[in-house]
Amino acid sequence: MKRYECLRAIAPQFGDELVVTNLGAVRHEWQSLRPHHGNYHLQNLGLTSSMALGLALALPHRKVVAFDGDGSLLLNLGSLATIANQHPKNLIHIVFDNECYESSRGAPTATAGSADLAAVARGCGFANVGTTRTLAEFADAFTRALNANDLHFILAKVEPGAGDVPAAALDSQENKYLFVRYIEKSENLKILTSTLSRASESPSK
Amino acid sequence: MKREVAAEIVESLKEAGVDFVATLTEANLHDLVMALGEDQAIHHVPVTREEEGIGVCAGAYLGGKKPAMVMMNAGFLLSTNALATVCIHPGIPVLLLIGHSGGVGEENAGHATVGALTEPVLQAMHIVYEKVGRFEEIRPTIRDSQMLARSSRRPTAIVLNKQALR
Repeated sequence: MKRYECLRAIAPQFGDELVVTNLGAVRHEWQSLRPHHGNYHLQNLGLTSSMALGLALALPHRKVVAFDGDGSLLLNLGSLATIANQHPKNLIHIVFDNECYESSRGAPTATAGSADLAAVARGCGFANVGTTRTLAEFADAFTRALNANDLHFILAKVEPGAGDVPAAALDSQENKYLFVRYIEKSENLKILTSTLSRASESPSK
Repeated sequence: MKREVAAEIVESLKEAGVDFVATLTEANLHDLVMALGEDQAIHHVPVTREEEGIGVCAGAYLGGKKPAMVMMNAGFLLSTNALATVCIHPGIPVLLLIGHSGGVGEENAGHATVGALTEPVLQAMHIVYEKVGRFEEIRPTIRDSQMLARSSRRPTAIVLNKQALR
């Protein structure tokens, strides 16, 4: 199976879930399948799981889904220990493991050798860990995670290859403002500060 | 760090609105990290590597929290790419409390290089910072640094020198 097929299989299940995507083609694939202000496209390799953790802890009543990759998670394995200890019940950590640095022309990652990220997650204390190798397995694991009230880790073993989609027309600043405004509105929160006019302080007469 | 200094930092953070703190401990930060862990008004996330904490804080900000990161300067140097790509580039504020080893008063020769690099790297990253040592400086500096972080949508830093750390 390919990552794009996995995303296409689960996209119809999304409502107001918040999503953090890894650097690389996954952001364009996901944005084309589910264009939504609740998508945050991280421009950093490694911190997808950590951003998703912070978001999940800040909004414990909202489901947060991380679309991570093997190259990214290998940069930040310690985050699995932190996430398991914090144990946010609203977080689904999905890792698309294509066993290579696909966006960097495909050199193999450590998972092409002996590393098993699901075993690492289990060892860090994740209770709900699944390795999926077919679309049916993946979609089933996601549906169970979405309907459960607990932390889940899903490893999707995929072939390399990106979906034939247009580049997402979002730069980082625009994405941040749209995402934050969406959170402010949907959660009735004030996140961005604004400067009051000082006109009212000036003498009126 | 003395317990009364740790308590003053925790109270100052709360007064400034900070409600979420990621930490990576060190001998000089121990009392502060333990005090943060005990405080019910602050969500405390001990991390395994400092750049991880920058990601956690940025995510918490997007969800409406007011985050801060407590670490030593070695951890700040480790976090530079995370700060650049996750905070500065999109415009996400995180208050950084950085213990300054290798600065004035340092007795450990091994810390001198990291100590000397800390301020030039903060300056190179255009991160506005204040150096704090005296007890009475702590509260206004935390308040004002947090104010600037929020209004500028950028990380700001407080560098805690030996006077504050010992």
